[in-house]
Amino acid sequence: MSLAAIDKPTGSPQRGDAASKRVAIVDAALACVAARGLKATTVDDVARAAGMSRATLYRTLPGGRDDVIRAMAETELARFFSALAVAMGGAEDLEAALVAGITTTARWVQDSAAIQMMLEIEPDELLKNLSFGEMDQALAVAAGFSAPFYGRWLEHEQSLRAAEWATRIVLSYLLDEDDMIDLTDEADVHGLVARFVLPGIEALASSSRAT
Amino acid sequence: MAVPATKERIVEAAYALVARFGPARTSIEDVAVAAGVSRATMYRYFPGGRAELIDEVVTYEYRLFFLRLYEAISDAETLEEVMELGLRTAHRAIEDHDVLQMILRTEPEILEPALRAQSSETRELVAWFLTPYLERHELAPGVEVAQAADFLARMVLSYVGAAGRWNLDDPAQLTELVRGELLSGIVPQVPADR
Repeated sequence: MSLAAIDKPTGSPQRGDAASKRVAIVDAALACVAARGLKATTVDDVARAAGMSRATLYRTLPGGRDDVIRAMAETELARFFSALAVAMGGAEDLEAALVAGITTTARWVQDSAAIQMMLEIEPDELLKNLSFGEMDQALAVAAGFSAPFYGRWLEHEQSLRAAEWATRIVLSYLLDEDDMIDLTDEADVHGLVARFVLPGIEALASSSRAT
Repeated sequence: MAVPATKERIVEAAYALVARFGPARTSIEDVAVAAGVSRATMYRYFPGGRAELIDEVVTYEYRLFFLRLYEAISDAETLEEVMELGLRTAHRAIEDHDVLQMILRTEPEILEPALRAQSSETRELVAWFLTPYLERHELAPGVEVAQAADFLARMVLSYVGAAGRWNLDDPAQLTELVRGELLSGIVPQVPADR
């Protein structure tokens, strides 16, 4: 699975030195966000953490802070999607693919120090992308990416619906935790998927085959 | 006791101003004048000032929204009916809610804190509302009412907030979503005619 479609480089062409500087900046920015959140992170903080001058940072990402944030989001998204590709690509059946997709996403969020810090001190910065119209867009992106992994068992439209549904489940439990289901726990997720999700996906798949 | 009445009057006056001028152009002073209270009274009820007041306005309208929804759908008889009617009605109510749509266009960030604060409470409310429908319905083997109610509540709220690939105004799709996707694991696969 190629990630070229989503990993669009920001700023300078991504080759050689510029590419490695871009990665250094992104990783420094992630460390800054993990330490003090997004709002309090300045270009100077990022340059210092990356061990480069302000001028070098601006040569790599001319848009400054906005470009740093965009590069950080794009790189993290690409890294996340490649982790998802590995986990879901190895699934043996539809049920395993759903479980792998959901647990991998939940663990990614749990393990990301930057996301955890933002959820703790400035949740609005993250969550403003997840209500109403913005949520529709987030669902479309996530479903569009993960749908191909369901394509081994489902037709295109049903894959998109399954992918969207899995995304909704992840978002629901991440944003509103409860004591019964832990999405990083494979047994919990397996129980949820086998009981409530798989029958629904199979019902839609068989009705679409019938028509 | 007059205390709750004053607070409610302030919140109602604030909602009317927000609906007309938008949250950004609604000041504490304007609300005080509209509600007929002093500035000092405003700060007694809302020590956090404008932000706290706006949060309260969002919460107030949010509760009214669910109250109206509850009234609109409580005639439904079966689980299938109440899910379909609830999704369609809530989706329409959001699309047609002029004040909400204006805020989403201009200052969506003011909704976030109140919505987040309410999310567990709302889920529990929806699950509570669905529980008798589940109790009356034949369920697939091994399905527990509490677990199914919680899961369905989460999904209803998700689809109401964002329809995604589904057109909830299309009755055929709504049926497919509710009876196919959402309920296939919860009710017996070949539902008994009743």
